Amino acid sequence: MATPPDTLDKVGAGLDALDVPVEAQKPPLWRRFLKTGVPPIIAFALLLGVWQALWASALLPEFQLPAPVNVWNELVSSIASGEAFSILWTSLHRAVFGFIAAVLIATPLGLLIAKVRVVRAAIGSLLTGLQSLPSVAWVPAAILWFGVTPSTIYFVVLMGSVPSIANGLVAGIDQIPPLLPRVGRALGAGRLASARHILLPAALPGYLAGLKQGWAFSWRSLMAAEIIATSPQLGVGLGQYLHNGSSLNDINMVIAAIFLILLVGIGIELLLFRPLERAVLRARGLTGAL
Amino acid sequence: MTATLETTVSSTVDTAVELAGVRKVFGHGSSAVVALDGVDLKVKPGEFVCLLGASGCGKSTLLNIVAGLDGATSGELQLNTSRPAVMFQEPALMPWLTAARNVELALRFAGVGRLARKRRALELLELVRLGDVADKRPHELSGGMRQRVALARALASTTVSPDGAPALLLMDEPFAALDAITRDVLQSELLRVWETTNTAIIFVTHDVREAVRLGQRVVLLSSRPGRVVREWDVTDSSNEVLDEINTHLREVISGHAS
Repeated sequence: MATPPDTLDKVGAGLDALDVPVEAQKPPLWRRFLKTGVPPIIAFALLLGVWQALWASALLPEFQLPAPVNVWNELVSSIASGEAFSILWTSLHRAVFGFIAAVLIATPLGLLIAKVRVVRAAIGSLLTGLQSLPSVAWVPAAILWFGVTPSTIYFVVLMGSVPSIANGLVAGIDQIPPLLPRVGRALGAGRLASARHILLPAALPGYLAGLKQGWAFSWRSLMAAEIIATSPQLGVGLGQYLHNGSSLNDINMVIAAIFLILLVGIGIELLLFRPLERAVLRARGLTGAL
Repeated sequence: MTATLETTVSSTVDTAVELAGVRKVFGHGSSAVVALDGVDLKVKPGEFVCLLGASGCGKSTLLNIVAGLDGATSGELQLNTSRPAVMFQEPALMPWLTAARNVELALRFAGVGRLARKRRALELLELVRLGDVADKRPHELSGGMRQRVALARALASTTVSPDGAPALLLMDEPFAALDAITRDVLQSELLRVWETTNTAIIFVTHDVREAVRLGQRVVLLSSRPGRVVREWDVTDSSNEVLDEINTHLREVISGHAS
């Protein structure tokens, strides 16, 4: 080893200079819009075009396939009368409260299953099984237990979303590289500090995936419950609106309801989960999917 | 086989680490494997000792025992140092934290206040010449830079002792996964850091050249069970010592050929 130390220092400085990450230039806003905003707009326009053409061909009677413009008018009139907002509010606040309750129940449950072997052996597979059970299946039982009340709706929402969230957290914890908690121990972290500073942040991507799926399940469970369990005392949510449309043989109303249900699903995904997921993954250098 | 391991911290400072008759057995009964069999080792404060051995010599096990990550089956371990810091072959940085935050994490576990943490973390990053990339996350750094952040973090966890006990750094083949040029640079970096911080280092490696270059003393371990075969003082290393150690290492390994 005849290399003098200061030469090596220079080599080291050179290596660092070569290794310093190159900051990727962010493309301008309009270009990003062109890349991510335009394709879905074109897809939507195409869909509308096909729909319009199908309607114009008059293959199906009007009560089965309405004209796009009629559905649009139904939407506009329900928005103008304020009905749409009250319907959306009824369903959304149920879904949000149900989802928050599901998070509060599923998070400690997931932690227990992931970290306590007996609990995992006892109810781990049950929870996975529950995930594959459509939560609509709980509606008849819930009506018998709670009557046609908000409790029925919340029960169905919880049964839909708790398994997803808990399973997501379990998967997140299972996928933590074992070296990380070990490093934590070597650095002197106690059990609590390790959970707070290592386990939970390390499990965050899996947990977030679980939350996302949990939200989707709670939203669709809510719709199922609202369609089946209708009563005046429950008020009119999106599900009831859809049910009413069906009862009235009003295809415009039915399609408008489906459109609104989709809109909420896409809106929450785009406004809440997509940015959260992006931030979490980007911080870890997992930008492949973004 | 009763666990008679006693860890005592006293203030006599002529030895930083003392292992006496440390034995480690994995498993029970007929399937038991003796990883370490009566290992005696003394490390002085500020001394740089390299543990050399082929795979299966229990050098990592020995390091884990000193680190307190694993318990010995019997024998005695005496530490006159602050909490030993450990560096692994992989940097094992927390991928969601910046370089500075990774170093701060060690200080946080030691109960250091926020401002002091920030200052100390930056100091340590400067020491490994990474002050400029303190705000970068691990995925934005090269392998060598990550390992230097890991070094800074390890130093953070061992040099915060309030009573001024000497520091101890345990390194488990930390440069084995790096390319040759980076390894060369990091070895000289480590020597510089060692000289400025006066930390005792136990460095595990299977590379004779690395051991002789870095260490003041090289300790050769045999394999299955791990025992101390021989020691060499390598402060002024010559090629003859290198060859001699190589010969002995080969003997230890070929003993298993049957």
